[in-house]
Amino acid sequence: MMSERRPLRIALLASFTAKPIADALDRACHNAGIPATVYLGAYQQYAQEILNPTSAFSRCACDVMILAVDTHALAGDLVFRPYRLDDDARRRWADEQAETLIALARTAAERCEAMVLLHNLEVPMYSPLGPLEHAQEFGIKEAVETINAKLRSACKGDPRIYLFDFDGFCARVGKRVVRDPKLYYLGDFKVAMAHVPELCSAYLAYLRPLRVPVKKCLVLDCDHTLWGGVVGEVGIEGIQLGPTPEGRPYWEFQQHVLALHERGVVLAINSRNNPDDVLRVLREHPYQVLREEHFAAMAINWEDKASNIRAIAEELNIGVGSVVFMDDDPLNRALVAHALPEVEVVNLPGDPAWYVNTLLAFDGFHTLQLTDEDRQKGRFYAQEQQRRHVAVAATDLASYIRQLDVAVTIGPASAMTIPRIAQLTLKTNQFNLTTRRYTETEVHRLAHDARFLMLTCAARDRFGDSGIVGVAIAERSVPDWRMDTFLVSCRVIGRKIEDALLAYVMQEAARAGARRVIGEFIPTAKNTPAQDFYRAQGFVKMEGGGANIERWERSCTGAFPFPEELTVDGGGMQSVRAI
Amino acid sequence: MNRAYTVVGRILGIAPEEITDATSPKTVASWDSYNGLMLVSALEQEFGVSFTLDEVIAVQNVGDITAALTRHGIEV
Repeated sequence: MMSERRPLRIALLASFTAKPIADALDRACHNAGIPATVYLGAYQQYAQEILNPTSAFSRCACDVMILAVDTHALAGDLVFRPYRLDDDARRRWADEQAETLIALARTAAERCEAMVLLHNLEVPMYSPLGPLEHAQEFGIKEAVETINAKLRSACKGDPRIYLFDFDGFCARVGKRVVRDPKLYYLGDFKVAMAHVPELCSAYLAYLRPLRVPVKKCLVLDCDHTLWGGVVGEVGIEGIQLGPTPEGRPYWEFQQHVLALHERGVVLAINSRNNPDDVLRVLREHPYQVLREEHFAAMAINWEDKASNIRAIAEELNIGVGSVVFMDDDPLNRALVAHALPEVEVVNLPGDPAWYVNTLLAFDGFHTLQLTDEDRQKGRFYAQEQQRRHVAVAATDLASYIRQLDVAVTIGPASAMTIPRIAQLTLKTNQFNLTTRRYTETEVHRLAHDARFLMLTCAARDRFGDSGIVGVAIAERSVPDWRMDTFLVSCRVIGRKIEDALLAYVMQEAARAGARRVIGEFIPTAKNTPAQDFYRAQGFVKMEGGGANIERWERSCTGAFPFPEELTVDGGGMQSVRAI
Repeated sequence: MNRAYTVVGRILGIAPEEITDATSPKTVASWDSYNGLMLVSALEQEFGVSFTLDEVIAVQNVGDITAALTRHGIEV
């Protein structure tokens, strides 16, 4: 189990001198606010360390292992003389190497219950065949690419192993300069000192989501950010946007932003303008890519931008800490950075020609899983706007929920839902009673542990399907069940969905003959919305919980009806018992 | 203060005042082969030079570093 307070234990096993990388990774984690320890495996001993159950690595109980085996170490003199073998022998070699690496990664993942970052191989730039390399039946480049393709397939089929695109890193840095030949000859350094920080940044994109809440919302300025010029001065006809030299940087920037939206990033506008001027561009400009329907919130006014961000976060019911702000104006950026230090402020460069590069280099939205719910999140938030209109019209909570026609489906975890469960435990802060963070690997293990009951709760209403929004994990201990995890996405709090999920657990516990259900509540800075939940559900606080954890009990005798305002599909009952 | 001494002190974790041209891997325990390479990298970065492989291998003590930097036109 991961607690956010414990340092992240990283093991780096490499086929070359990796001490500079280990040292830099330690610093990079520290600078990113992620307490971490880095264990560096013995030089070139990666296979022994993984295969020997009593090695220092096997005993270090790491959370993440980076397995960095480079082409040169793997290929030996095949790197210099790839055509001393014939095509068939090269093909066999590639198959064997891929199998060996995959087997090592799997063994490590099993032994340490760790997430494995598996380097792929740098595809050599050079071939003795020159241009005929690509005419070769099975050339050395194709051989390395084949290994990479096999590694990628293996990662796709195994939630514990993530591919680290080292070849992509080398290409980005430049394969001519990624190594410093002198330090390579002197000390077997395979990455030049100058490029070690960039390698660590690339690792961090995988490590950050394990410890730091993922960013959810991109708040954008308009003038000089989404288009060139000030629309209030030059009008819709005068702004620069579209397929012209001065308009294309903005046009393409918007297309990249839309791509983020399509994979679930929530968008909002924060602009000092007259609303009509901006809305006219959104509705009528032929090359405007981002339209009204893409924005979940729009603050177009003359307020200061920090207050606007606060209002946007409140309206969307997300934390200010999950907001990213992009604005061309350094003064606005400084104002927001000062007033709201939790907001990640991206420094757009002075020259719009570099906007796209800046956006593409930003990795704060990276997650380790992307579920169907994520991809639709932009739409979910738009539907939320419509729900708010119903809420205004309804006179009380019960009639509001009835008007929404809320229906929930509760059932046991399945292979399909495990990624989403992990994600909810990692990302849910407000209505999360214990804030226990579980990686996909850990969820997988719990789901297959007969002692635990793991339930998901999906919700839909007349405005749309919200997907899986709630998770409950109960330990079926005797005589009392223990509620290890109970959370509901903040998007749907207050619609009795949490009541329905808890009732389901109570029913299951009663059916299984449990005496009581013990609910745990671990207070955090963010989960105050959940602090009175157990009391409201008829639980009684137990003595001796201490300041860090409260325990609440409720007897399993009696009936536990679902809230009558909503419909519950309990399709999972039989399979719950079957797990 | 010899500017090379400052870099040597920082990488090897010793006070620059304790460093002389005679300071060498024999007199400083932290000057192992790995830190030797870190030192090469730090000196190249600090002074904007690139040593040859032979120059690095030939270094026996801090005096050799100073001499190599002087050859590259650096006033230390």
